[in-house]
Amino acid sequence: MFFIAVFVIPVGLMVRYSFLQQLPDGTLTGNFTLANYIRLGAVDLYRNVVVTTLRISLFTTLGAMLLAYPLALVIARGPAMIGRAITVLVIAPLLVNVVVRAYGWRIILGNGNSGVLNWALSYLGLGPVEILYTEWAVIIGSMQVFLPMMVLPLAAAIGRIDPAVEDAARTLGGSSLAVFRRVTLPLSVPGLGVGCTLVFSLTASSFILPALLGGSFTKMLGTLVEEQILTVFDWPFGAAIATAMVLIVMAINLAYMALIERRFRSRAMEAA
Amino acid sequence: MSENGLGRAAPLIYTLTGLIVLFLLLPLIFPIVLSISDTPFITFPPKGFTLQWYGKVLQDADFTSSFGFSVLLSTTAACGAVLLGTPTAVGLVRLSFPGKGFIQALVLSPLIFPSLVTGIALLRLFSSIGSNDAFLNLWIGHVLVTTPYVVRTVSASLVVVDPGLEEAARTLGAGRFTAFWRITRPQIMPGLVAGALFAFVTSFDNYAVSMWLFDASHVPLPMMMLSLISRMFDPGIAAIASLMIFFSLFMVLLLERLAGLRRAMSF
Repeated sequence: MFFIAVFVIPVGLMVRYSFLQQLPDGTLTGNFTLANYIRLGAVDLYRNVVVTTLRISLFTTLGAMLLAYPLALVIARGPAMIGRAITVLVIAPLLVNVVVRAYGWRIILGNGNSGVLNWALSYLGLGPVEILYTEWAVIIGSMQVFLPMMVLPLAAAIGRIDPAVEDAARTLGGSSLAVFRRVTLPLSVPGLGVGCTLVFSLTASSFILPALLGGSFTKMLGTLVEEQILTVFDWPFGAAIATAMVLIVMAINLAYMALIERRFRSRAMEAA
Repeated sequence: MSENGLGRAAPLIYTLTGLIVLFLLLPLIFPIVLSISDTPFITFPPKGFTLQWYGKVLQDADFTSSFGFSVLLSTTAACGAVLLGTPTAVGLVRLSFPGKGFIQALVLSPLIFPSLVTGIALLRLFSSIGSNDAFLNLWIGHVLVTTPYVVRTVSASLVVVDPGLEEAARTLGAGRFTAFWRITRPQIMPGLVAGALFAFVTSFDNYAVSMWLFDASHVPLPMMMLSLISRMFDPGIAAIASLMIFFSLFMVLLLERLAGLRRAMSF
């Protein structure tokens, strides 16, 4: 009875919470309309924002995937001390405020002579590059910010692979690359899926990174929704963008679950 | 060659790992490097050495009041998350009732639901019910997004606790609450501490909910930092960034000492 009593509070809150999220879907003006969604898809300016958001999220996810494997391998398979040290080094930046990290990237990527990167390039005799306020700045920043979200589930998945399987492949003459490609990689797919889902969702719904690194030239859904609601006060359109963002995140999560399900089913069929 | 578990590719993997860790640390290193520059504007490479920017920032009323406000908000939000999350975790792990999976998904959903949208939904609700108290609004938002972390870490440590012990205490005459407090609570303490600290850090860093709910007299640190970046051009801003980095590193060490980082992340 005690537990049922203390459950009323959280459940009450959560029920209210689920009700809150229904609110953005309109019902503000009274009349049901799809005009806001059509506007998001039909007006070039806004459609470009959607496409840019998807492209940046995709590149960030792919980049994070490549960078995450070496780290995850060391955490899961390296000597315990080193694995622990790398874990701390991977998680530590995660607890540093995103605004601060975006600011750090602004210092590094700064255009002209003030940026660290351009200073280093001119030292090497290479021309200055203009990265800040382009999509690449957002991608680089997002990769650094969200990489831990890829490394941790991946390390957990690799840790669950029996090392004997890899040893067996190696004993049978497989090269390191072949063992990785044929054994480690396929067996780590569940962790990779979780990581990709997280990185993609977080990038697609971020605000600080496109605001500070993309500027007014590279808009994403997060900056567009902020502008529509806090500057233009167009609540219905803002809410439609927010809902579109949720749909993108949900689609990517559902796609991952469907993928896992299909793998599971094909395994079951093989077994039968 | 498998004693290190990485095979012959080990040197290559270690080199790559070093480079990638460097990449992760880059945006944390340079604000610190620039904050000691003895120039009236931000420049690289820094010239001279001075700590005057730290002195200036620590006397800056905008920064100190905002820091104080963030500490207050995050501490109270973490307390709220623990008070709300712990009973929820106990209920979800120990009891079976219809709709349990649904409740569990609901409780954890703020973790994957874009918090930017959570903030918008809350702003919409607060303005339609006329709730103008920015502190209360921020507090509710922060409790909402931090509670799932507490539920997750407490659940993780609760599943390894033997419920028989609490039952034994009950048989010996302890009340339900006493049995929980004296028997189960000490055993889930690491999960509780990890959850509370993580809730604090998450709330302290949160901007996605705060950006919709703050007002001019209640400005959390990330929002203050964001506005300073666009109107402050001396190394003072780098000093603020460095102070926040030091503060985070302190939290990292605290988490690692008290609970273990990986447990706190629940991976």
